[in-house]
Amino acid sequence: MRYALYTGCVAKGAGRELLTATTYAAERLGIQLNEMKDASCCGAGVVDDDNRLLADSMNARTFSLAEASGLDIMTICGTCQGVMRAAQKKIDGNPDYKARVNAALLKDTGRVYAGKVKIKHFYQIIHEDYGLENLAARVTVKLAGLKVAPFYGCYVLRPHEYSDVKVPDRPDYLEKFIETLGATPVDYPEKLKCCGFPILMSNKTNSLQLSGNAILGAIKAGADCIVTPCPLCQLNMDSYQPEIEAILERKLGLPILHYPQLLALALGATLDDVKTNTHIVRPNKALHEASD
Amino acid sequence: MAEVRFLVSKYNSETDAKPRLQEFRLDPPQGATLLDCLNLIKWKLDGTLSFRMSCRSAICGSCAVRVNGHARLACKTQAADAVIDGRVTIEPLGNMTLIRDLVVDLEPFWASVEKVRPWLVPDDSKKYERERLQSHHDQLKIDAASTCIMCASCFSDCNVMEVDPKFLGPAALAKAQRFVFDTRDAEKWDRLELLGQIHGMWDCTHCAECSTRCPTDAKPLERITELRRAAMAAGMTDNNAARHVLGFRESIGGFKGIGGSGMLNENYLPVRSMGLSIGGILSLIPVGLRMFARKKNPPLIPHVIEKVGEVRKMFRRFDEYNKEGEK
Amino acid sequence: MITHDVVIVGSGLAGLRAAIEMAGKVDVAVVSKVYPSRSHSGAAQGGVAAAMANSSDDSVESHFFDTVKGSDYLADQDAAEIMTRDAPVTITEMERLGCVFSRDEKGRIAQREFGGHSHPRACYAADRTGHALLHTLFEQSMKHKAAVTYYSEWYLLSLIYEEGSARGITMMNIRTGELEVVRAKTVLFGTGGYGRAFKITSNAFACTGDGVMTAYRAGIPLEDMEFVQFHPTGLYGQGILMSEAARGEGGYLVNGKGERFMDKYAKSKMELAPRDIVSRAEQTEINEGRGIGGKDFVHIDLRHLGREKIIERLPQIRQLAIDFLGVDCIDKPIPIQPTAHYSMGGIPVDVDCQVITDEKKTKARGFFAAGECSCVSVHGANRLGTNSLLDACVFGRRAGKAALDYTLSARHESVNEAAELGKARKRLDALLSTPETESANDIRNELKETMSNHAGVYRGAEGLLVAKAALKLLRERFKSVRVTDKGKLFNTELVEALELSNMLEYSEIIVEGALARRESRGAHARTDFPKRDDANWLKHTLARKNADGSVSLGYKPVVITKYQPEERKY
Ligand SMILES: Cc1cc2nc3c(=O)[nH]c(=O)nc-3n(C[C@H](O)[C@H](O)[C@H](O)COP(=O)(O)OP(=O)(O)OC[C@H]3O[C@@H](n4cnc5c(N)ncnc54)[C@H](O)[C@@H]3O)c2cc1C
Ligand code: SF4
Ligand code: SF4
Ligand code: FES
Repeated sequence: MRYALYTGCVAKGAGRELLTATTYAAERLGIQLNEMKDASCCGAGVVDDDNRLLADSMNARTFSLAEASGLDIMTICGTCQGVMRAAQKKIDGNPDYKARVNAALLKDTGRVYAGKVKIKHFYQIIHEDYGLENLAARVTVKLAGLKVAPFYGCYVLRPHEYSDVKVPDRPDYLEKFIETLGATPVDYPEKLKCCGFPILMSNKTNSLQLSGNAILGAIKAGADCIVTPCPLCQLNMDSYQPEIEAILERKLGLPILHYPQLLALALGATLDDVKTNTHIVRPNKALHEASD
Repeated sequence: MAEVRFLVSKYNSETDAKPRLQEFRLDPPQGATLLDCLNLIKWKLDGTLSFRMSCRSAICGSCAVRVNGHARLACKTQAADAVIDGRVTIEPLGNMTLIRDLVVDLEPFWASVEKVRPWLVPDDSKKYERERLQSHHDQLKIDAASTCIMCASCFSDCNVMEVDPKFLGPAALAKAQRFVFDTRDAEKWDRLELLGQIHGMWDCTHCAECSTRCPTDAKPLERITELRRAAMAAGMTDNNAARHVLGFRESIGGFKGIGGSGMLNENYLPVRSMGLSIGGILSLIPVGLRMFARKKNPPLIPHVIEKVGEVRKMFRRFDEYNKEGEK
Repeated sequence: MITHDVVIVGSGLAGLRAAIEMAGKVDVAVVSKVYPSRSHSGAAQGGVAAAMANSSDDSVESHFFDTVKGSDYLADQDAAEIMTRDAPVTITEMERLGCVFSRDEKGRIAQREFGGHSHPRACYAADRTGHALLHTLFEQSMKHKAAVTYYSEWYLLSLIYEEGSARGITMMNIRTGELEVVRAKTVLFGTGGYGRAFKITSNAFACTGDGVMTAYRAGIPLEDMEFVQFHPTGLYGQGILMSEAARGEGGYLVNGKGERFMDKYAKSKMELAPRDIVSRAEQTEINEGRGIGGKDFVHIDLRHLGREKIIERLPQIRQLAIDFLGVDCIDKPIPIQPTAHYSMGGIPVDVDCQVITDEKKTKARGFFAAGECSCVSVHGANRLGTNSLLDACVFGRRAGKAALDYTLSARHESVNEAAELGKARKRLDALLSTPETESANDIRNELKETMSNHAGVYRGAEGLLVAKAALKLLRERFKSVRVTDKGKLFNTELVEALELSNMLEYSEIIVEGALARRESRGAHARTDFPKRDDANWLKHTLARKNADGSVSLGYKPVVITKYQPEERKY
């Protein structure tokens, strides 16, 4: 299995541990990754707030790069996945629009997006291409006893018309994944909600309140940690947890893991291997115990 | 269909401390909508069950409730499509105070809509004998927003609304789009100004609950992005969110002769967002230091993608893209 | 007691249009049992008529004639002339207020064909014209919020009408259960129609003739109640409307044998013949065994219009058929049947919407009515499609102007608050303390069955007599109807019981009027008197409530100014 790895910005910036964990896990699973060094930012929905055709064309460029390499794209960020899938569906669904995108793309880059490439998040690849049974066979460390709260992130779920998740109001891929790793998924009301990251710069209180509600919900449900396929959710909930604690006026201390980190732990990585030491919230006792 | 267990929220604010789910068993007739089922429950099993409804054809917006946790029009939902493991849960809309069973206090919702001055302010510089002209193309720009039926489904499920009751909310913003983009309206700029304020269009997180729940073509998130594009195009960028957008534009595509990196510059972005606000920049310091201490801070020399020239070229034609995208 | 200069009941097109006319000039209150944007006007789909002549050489004259002909000559021609003359300016005003109309290639309001109209005259907003108009007025109502007091989700209980003058109303706050008396110099009803009494109906649950019956109980006679329009394209089983736009855009009606049967009934107009004719054609096909699979429906086939046209022009229709029957009209015909749709009859008013109280056209002081609850009569025995949104807009506007003039020179008259509250309380208490033996649902279902079977598209003396007897029994049973909810907050069971009492009573008036009218005219089709009879029946019915509760019928002449009755051919 080989994919064109689309890292996105965070895995190259404030969330480099994500890339480390991805590389670790992919190696153990025998998934080959060719990093797309020439791919641009997906725009994160923000460029779309500025210039739709540019945002979509920029993504079409990324798609055409993958097409040229003959590989499908693997993303490791829920936001990148959602944004790129939405762009692709908008382009594919409207021949007139596709023509405009391609005209612009051709003019500036000499490239054309054909419409062949598949874009999948790491989690989808595990589920659909790799298979959970296969994964179960590779799990070396059963994360038994660890209670993990799944946090999906908006972009892979909504709007439904752009989502690849089968029943986006009742997704279960993270739960099944957690179970496969031997850990226990916990349910809580906020698991499909927004982490607030996109408005962090403009309305910090609202943004962090949203993350805070989610963390609190997970804690109330007895979670030892949260796992999320979106590094932006991770960033908001982890890096800003001290501020969140100030807003909620209580201690939280809940570790927030990237999806590939939890995966790598189950495949034998140590906490250091997946660089949890770079997190603001350090691994707690439960995480230490489970991954030992 | 087989018998279905309907778990319906019952509550009377005069007598009950909190709502409870009551179970009703019903064998919905072929083709029955959830509104048909609610009526059957009311007419045959429990006359005291209270909910709003009128048109039963998805146009009056009265019958929105939460079905299995998410806002929907009862009259537009086939019962068969809502059953999960033999059950359907029906609860009142969220983000509003409950009055009775499935009836919530809608006043905050109407108040939010009123805040955007949702009426046409015609440009009356010319006297018109007949209707004003508006091209089919221009009319289409406001068509989607004008399909809103004021059902409050979006308001109910909006994530920001949950933490900020002062947020304008999706329906009000969709309604506002309808006037900002109406070629007959004279107040486009004032409107954008108003919407650009705190609790306005920039406070939406893109959670997309609104567009997902909206039973019409109004799809508020789409309208919100249109409003934001209009504000950006008009250069109304004197706020953190708009500067954040500029930060993206500049760090990916370049700025004043400095080439962009094709990627986001996570060091530049927060600082750019704060504009010239000293307080804003100071507020970034704790998290910055914290991340630095954990070696989590983004690399100081930004990562530049290969073949970045292509992307820079695209951004140099920013305005042309915008124009072409308008079509 | 609350006091306002004017109290308007109803926040549909008629009520809101009147309110805007008066806003800021006198102290206006608008009472409605639903929030304004939820009024039934919003459900109107196909269009609103006006001789704008945007895509043809249409004229007011032609619109006037089509309306009179469509009415089977029962329309009052002075009123029909005013409506058609005021139409273009009224629509232009709505556009100026911001209504989002569909546009033609020149940027003008687009217009399309509609049944019974000789020119493309229906201005439209895709197939949600009522929604576009209603929301425009709803927007205006927010603009005028400081000048108009809205009582939304309040239910009208009675009209205070003494010595020939309206003095106010009593109403119940649905949300809290509290009762209130509103004293006003002027009362204006825009309370909508009464189509809910039939089994298959396009009408919203709210269309229960409350205003009409409130006036009737206060001593006002009702005009032409026997004329109920059946729309030919109700979604099978539900009655939900598939707009006439479906035929306007070129849809075919097809029977069980695959024939476009309209050529037997209206060779030149085919599917675009007026509604009464098309509904009867369908009913005849069904009655004679040529429904689809021999059942009680036929098909409307839109497939030949093509995907693009359907999606652009008829999006809502397509969605309704998908949502309610799981049929996508792009690849399948839609099962349809006639559905009760519009109430031609109502509160008699003059051309300025002031209520008249007898055959001599004596005016009720301070009482106005407009829209579907009123009978001006512009629609006579059969309303043309798109003429009722127009009616509501034109006469809402006129009512506003006339009521404003009236109010400016009127004063508040005395109201005995305690007595009015006492009466209202008594009516509610009676319902809340009945022996609780009868199910409202059963009564309602039997009522609808009775009305559809015996007072529907076709009527005969025999059936009408059966209906009369059945209604009497149902009203008797209603005296011990069960209202289990004794609470105050949002007691919708109580509201539904009140609505049912109205439905029962007006059904009786429909049946009495239909039984008496021994002819066929427009929507009133007697199997035993299949011909129109101008010598004896070119007149409006006026039904009045006797002291013992029974109905007595009187008649008032039709105003004929220009067009002498002739045979209607399409
Ligand atoms: C499905 C459908 C489609 C239609 N399509 C068309 C069309 O394409 N073109 C056309 O010209 N016409 C059409 N019509 C007819 C047209 O919509 C109506 O005749 C018109 O909208 C009536 O407007 P109105 O203001 O009189 O009443 P409504 O809009 O019905 O308003 C009645 C108001 O009275 C209030 N009310 C009633 N009872 C009480 C009470 N007891 N207490 C307090 N308030 C009360 C209600 O709350 C409401 O606000 C259609 C009708 C239907 C059913
Ligand atoms: S996308 Fe924005 S407006 Fe819509 S529900 Fe989410 S936060 Fe609210
Ligand atoms: S935008 Fe959509 S969900 Fe929100 S009120 Fe309007 S129709 Fe309902
Ligand atoms: S009852 Fe009107 S929208 Fe459902």
